[in-house]
Amino acid sequence: MPRALRALSVVVLLLAAAAALCAQAIEYSRPVETAPQQETIGGGYKTPAVQKPLPRGWWLDILDVVLLCAAMGASVWIVIKRRKRRWLVGLSIASLAYFGFYREGCICPIGSIQNVVVALADPKYSIPMVAIAVFFMPLVVAVFFGRAFCGGVCPLGAMQELVVIKPLRVPKRLDQGLGLLKYVYLALAILFALKPALTRDFLICRFDPFVGFFRFTGAPYMLATGGVFLIGGMFIGRPYCRYLCPYGGLLSWCSRLARKGVTITPDKELDCGLCTEACPYGAIDQMRAVGRKCLYCARCYASCPCDGELAQAKKALVGIGGAQ
Amino acid sequence: MSDAVSRRELLSKLVRGSVLAGMGGAALFLVKKANGEIVWQVDASRCVNSRLGEVGVEACTLCTSECVVSLSAVRAVNDFSKCGRCNVCPAYFDITSAVNELGLPSQKLCPRDAITRKMIGAADPEDPANNFYEYVIDEEKCDGCGRCVMKCKAPLGLGSITLKVRYNKCLDCNRCAISLSCPKDAVTQVPKMAGLEIKLAEHTE
Repeated sequence: MPRALRALSVVVLLLAAAAALCAQAIEYSRPVETAPQQETIGGGYKTPAVQKPLPRGWWLDILDVVLLCAAMGASVWIVIKRRKRRWLVGLSIASLAYFGFYREGCICPIGSIQNVVVALADPKYSIPMVAIAVFFMPLVVAVFFGRAFCGGVCPLGAMQELVVIKPLRVPKRLDQGLGLLKYVYLALAILFALKPALTRDFLICRFDPFVGFFRFTGAPYMLATGGVFLIGGMFIGRPYCRYLCPYGGLLSWCSRLARKGVTITPDKELDCGLCTEACPYGAIDQMRAVGRKCLYCARCYASCPCDGELAQAKKALVGIGGAQ
Repeated sequence: MSDAVSRRELLSKLVRGSVLAGMGGAALFLVKKANGEIVWQVDASRCVNSRLGEVGVEACTLCTSECVVSLSAVRAVNDFSKCGRCNVCPAYFDITSAVNELGLPSQKLCPRDAITRKMIGAADPEDPANNFYEYVIDEEKCDGCGRCVMKCKAPLGLGSITLKVRYNKCLDCNRCAISLSCPKDAVTQVPKMAGLEIKLAEHTE
């Protein structure tokens, strides 16, 4: 009996304590009915202005476009003229830092497809000027030089470019089959963007695999997809670019017209096939660069015994040999 | 042979020219349409946290959790001209917490301690409750969870705190992730000037 009594007293005490705690909360009622103003407060009090952070200045948008232009120019110059793989890696890192991490993956030509489609279809939609510029510039460059945007400029490409460790050769048939996926994705993205304003969906933005990394936050499933692409990208060169990127599809159409793209120079070549071995993207077919597949990585030049770094090393070796 | 090559060359030049012309035409057409920019903004009369009538429910924190940037592009903003400057501010203090020795609630409401207060004028020595305070929300700390907004609205407060988009953080996504999950469709696209409240500010001054 005493034990039960003790237990009961403990419960009563606890309840009392809880009640006391509750009673300690303030009895709140709104003290004023109207907000006191500068004049009623007096004493020289000035009502502070409401915080209104403004958007980025328009000149920063122009800077983005100029930098995109400059980066594509640099990509063409480095790959076509200088044939320097190392410089291109440098450009890739710079683009990744600016367009990827600093601009947080926005605005990108890949996503601008949707803006252009919506603007063409919906008379009420007003497209940002930057989106127009960003959509057309890489395509124009592709018409003349091939996919210069893909190599060294696109942050998504640069991300994958930097993780290629041991690329495996994808069988040609499989490569072609998977390559069709990007057109399916493009068609789906256009279809969803064409829907009426309320149900419209921007698939490319929603399923962008790397944007979560650029922003250091994102839906878990997207970060997981990005991770899979990066890990897969160590063994299959740039899987997103080759098999899914809808803008890559447009660029590869445009680059069919290019006459000044990456070429394997016939008058210098040895037919050794080292470039074919070096290309992780299957873009060298029978010792010739395939413009619509070439991603401007300049690995072929770096591996060429007649050209690039290997050739320079050879020259240096010959020089040493000659001196002895 | 050379004839065939030159013909092919000519053809490819023609194709390239027409493709470029097509792109130029499309670009021109689009440029003509590219007038009047739109931005995302929170409609305070729809937002669960600020619209009147919904009291006693938990604050909706979707603006914090759904935004794609790491610190949400939505933040709480205090319109000082509407603020009651109360001594016991229900948005500053957690008014359900126990009273401390100063006669004030012992806990603050903001989970990130983003609200600071400063006494206006000199302290009243006889009645400490008769002081007014200026409540400032730290832009860099606020992640737009909306708890203070919920507490500030009538009947507890005067509703001076609302959620607003900060355009220096907003990436202007084609489809705002918050708008997709907002239960009241309170995040909508408005003309840029309206979003920045530039006309409104000019009007009141």
